[in-house]
Amino acid sequence: MTDTVQAKPDDRALVRIRGLTTVLSGKTVFDALDLDIPRGKVTAIMGPSGTGKTTLLKHITGQMRSDKGEVRVDGLNVPELPRDQLFGLRERIGYLFQNSALLTDFDVFENVAFPLRQHTKLPEVLIRNIVLTKLQAVGLRGAASLMPSELSGGMARRVALARAIVFDPMLILYDEPFVGLDPIALNQVLKLIRTLNDTLNITSVLVAHELAAIKEVADHVYLIANGKVVAQGDPKKIADDGSPWTRQFFGGDADGPVPFQYPAGDYAQALGFKQGAA
Amino acid sequence: MSQRKSYAVGTGLFIVLGFAALAYLATQTSSVANSHQGSSYTIDAQFANIGALKERAPVKVAGVRVGQVQSITLEPGKDVADVTLSIDKKYNEIPTDSVATIYTSGLLGDQYVGLQFGGAKTYVADGGHIGLTKSSAPLEEMLGKFLGSGGAADAIGGTYSVRADFTNVGTLSVGAPVKMAGVAIGSVASIKADPVKLDATVTLAIDKKYNQIPDDSSVSIFTSGLIGSQYVAIQPGGSPNSLKDGDQLVLTQSAMQLEDLIGKFLVNGSPSGSNSAGGNSSPNTPAGKH
Amino acid sequence: MSAQMPHKSIVLQSLAQIGNCGLFLLRILAAVPSSLRHVRETVRQLWFVGAMSLTIIMTCGLFVGMVLGLQLYHVLAIFGGTSATGSVVALAIYRELGPVVTALLFAGRAGTSITAEIGLMRATDQIAAMEMMAVDPIAYVAAPRFLAGLIAMPLLCCVFCAMGIFGGHLVGVSWLGIDNGTFWSNMTSNVDVWDDIINGVMWKSVAFGAVVSLIAVFQGYTTPPTSEGVAYATTRTVVSSSIAILALDFVLTAFLM
Repeated sequence: MTDTVQAKPDDRALVRIRGLTTVLSGKTVFDALDLDIPRGKVTAIMGPSGTGKTTLLKHITGQMRSDKGEVRVDGLNVPELPRDQLFGLRERIGYLFQNSALLTDFDVFENVAFPLRQHTKLPEVLIRNIVLTKLQAVGLRGAASLMPSELSGGMARRVALARAIVFDPMLILYDEPFVGLDPIALNQVLKLIRTLNDTLNITSVLVAHELAAIKEVADHVYLIANGKVVAQGDPKKIADDGSPWTRQFFGGDADGPVPFQYPAGDYAQALGFKQGAA
Repeated sequence: MSQRKSYAVGTGLFIVLGFAALAYLATQTSSVANSHQGSSYTIDAQFANIGALKERAPVKVAGVRVGQVQSITLEPGKDVADVTLSIDKKYNEIPTDSVATIYTSGLLGDQYVGLQFGGAKTYVADGGHIGLTKSSAPLEEMLGKFLGSGGAADAIGGTYSVRADFTNVGTLSVGAPVKMAGVAIGSVASIKADPVKLDATVTLAIDKKYNQIPDDSSVSIFTSGLIGSQYVAIQPGGSPNSLKDGDQLVLTQSAMQLEDLIGKFLVNGSPSGSNSAGGNSSPNTPAGKH
Repeated sequence: MSAQMPHKSIVLQSLAQIGNCGLFLLRILAAVPSSLRHVRETVRQLWFVGAMSLTIIMTCGLFVGMVLGLQLYHVLAIFGGTSATGSVVALAIYRELGPVVTALLFAGRAGTSITAEIGLMRATDQIAAMEMMAVDPIAYVAAPRFLAGLIAMPLLCCVFCAMGIFGGHLVGVSWLGIDNGTFWSNMTSNVDVWDDIINGVMWKSVAFGAVVSLIAVFQGYTTPPTSEGVAYATTRTVVSSSIAILALDFVLTAFLM
């Protein structure tokens, strides 16, 4: 497998996060987080709802700045990049939004062609070929003239994926790609993630909840809770690694390190009983 | 792709429509519609008072627009306004002795310049000059003319009083003007009947600046126009002494009575008869007969 | 807290809004050069914002002209000056009603659609997607709409005025019986191209167009990306635009007269 173009000789991690600390609205989202995304592999990031997995993706793309810590993508320190370099970096990253985020005024073809038209001066014929190739890769070449409102959720997501790969990026970030899909569509997306990763040598980062899907597609998984990495490893084996986090998250316990009860005062007192009389 | 083309075409049509509307407004509904596209030449004229004349006001001959006022300037130090008129080239036969007058359109309308042709054989050329002008008549003067008597003088420097006795003041009223050579120099301050002498004592307030009226001047009561209001006229005499405050004018002529006037017309003499010296209303005596 | 607090915060809030709006304008102006690359997008927006508003503008222009003709005729009849109806209708429309009513209609029709569109783009992550694709959303989304509004307003105003004159003529001459020649000659002698049409229609409508477009884009861009946020933002577009238009109208009238 050939390395991507800007490879550092000894840097096996495309994304390197060290000591990331972010506080949003008084809530500590990340607390000295350390994370490596290995090149060329599919890495999944899981965790309870609200732990800021999408926020993590935003740090990688530079849409958000941390209070402390380092986020390096392909050797570049993202928070400190000047604007034009940041935009240049973003052209090498593909992002798949949870709701596809297709531009509603344009049809499928124009949506996929959008980045090409914005950033290149390629002749029309070339643009057409690239777009159709990408659409073919996701299986939607025949839908090129449909409007986004006419697409089903799964189809929209595949179009968004075609758009994300139009520049053959080095990194693709998937934000909850399996939500709301029927099993068939889910399998289609799964197949695409794996195929693209292998054939195009892309590094993929998945933020998702669906353990079964992740087991099939991911090479490595991180479990993030309370702003830290609490578990990581091979998804097929991680459920058995014994930590209380994995037991609750993968084993299905309702109560564990993530409490069932939202923090509240004393129960007996709330009901009006004397203290200790419960 | 074809979507894009239709936007461009449609947008283009919209822009064209907008500009067409603007062109319509500008050319059809504004004063541009009136102005001729032809070339023009300029002449100038001086006015003592331009009134409310504005630039771009029309210049008319016989009521027909022939051009417009190009500029109105006042040279510092001069008290006449220099008005440049821009006349269409096709009206190039304006005699050099034409009169330029500032008229008002309608009762309260805008002002314009009217040209009345003179008889000269030479015509005004580009850059030429019209010498004869009539300034605009300020409103006050016009109203004054309407209401008669031509207005009383401003007693700016204060007045001095002289008295005169008349046998008949007619309809003379307080405030009526006192005129000399047709120019108002004062006003009637009071009219009182003298119970002893059985005539009227009229006190005149004369503007101080007219302080060289001979003290043998005669004073008469005239009527402005045929049925206008009455005023006091002073005819200067020849005395080297001037009237002073408190003096009395001795030579007076009373007001004419309408009946006497008519009588004079109809008969050779008056209804009251007797043709003694001076006839009937011969007034040059202090105590004439009625 | 004391009853004064709510008052103070509304005033401060409004001031903060105005300030943010001004800063946003600077961002848009800074992005105009790069948005010139997106001429196609500006043309597209000009179609949606301008050409699609033509129906309402023309209809309302016609009715305004008709109403003016009717009202003014009856007032002038008191003074015996009905022959001046043409010029009074024209002056009223060119100087005041044309720019102001067009701007208010524009704010209601095009302004709200701009706000809603941008708000929805934010809510469905389209703006974020653009940022991800390294396309500056201000240059691609905000600036073209702003420019489109700026260009469309004067054109719409001219159309409005033309329809207004037509409406006034319709009522005055065809219905109320003013002489056609008098109508036009009186109008043409009293309407000055520079003072009334260029100053009144063009300058005012450009200024109003800038203000309405700026407010519409600003509200859409800064609203919280939820459905109720978007609904609230469209209301604020109309309200803020209307106030701004009328206040600016006074300032411009004082300045231009």
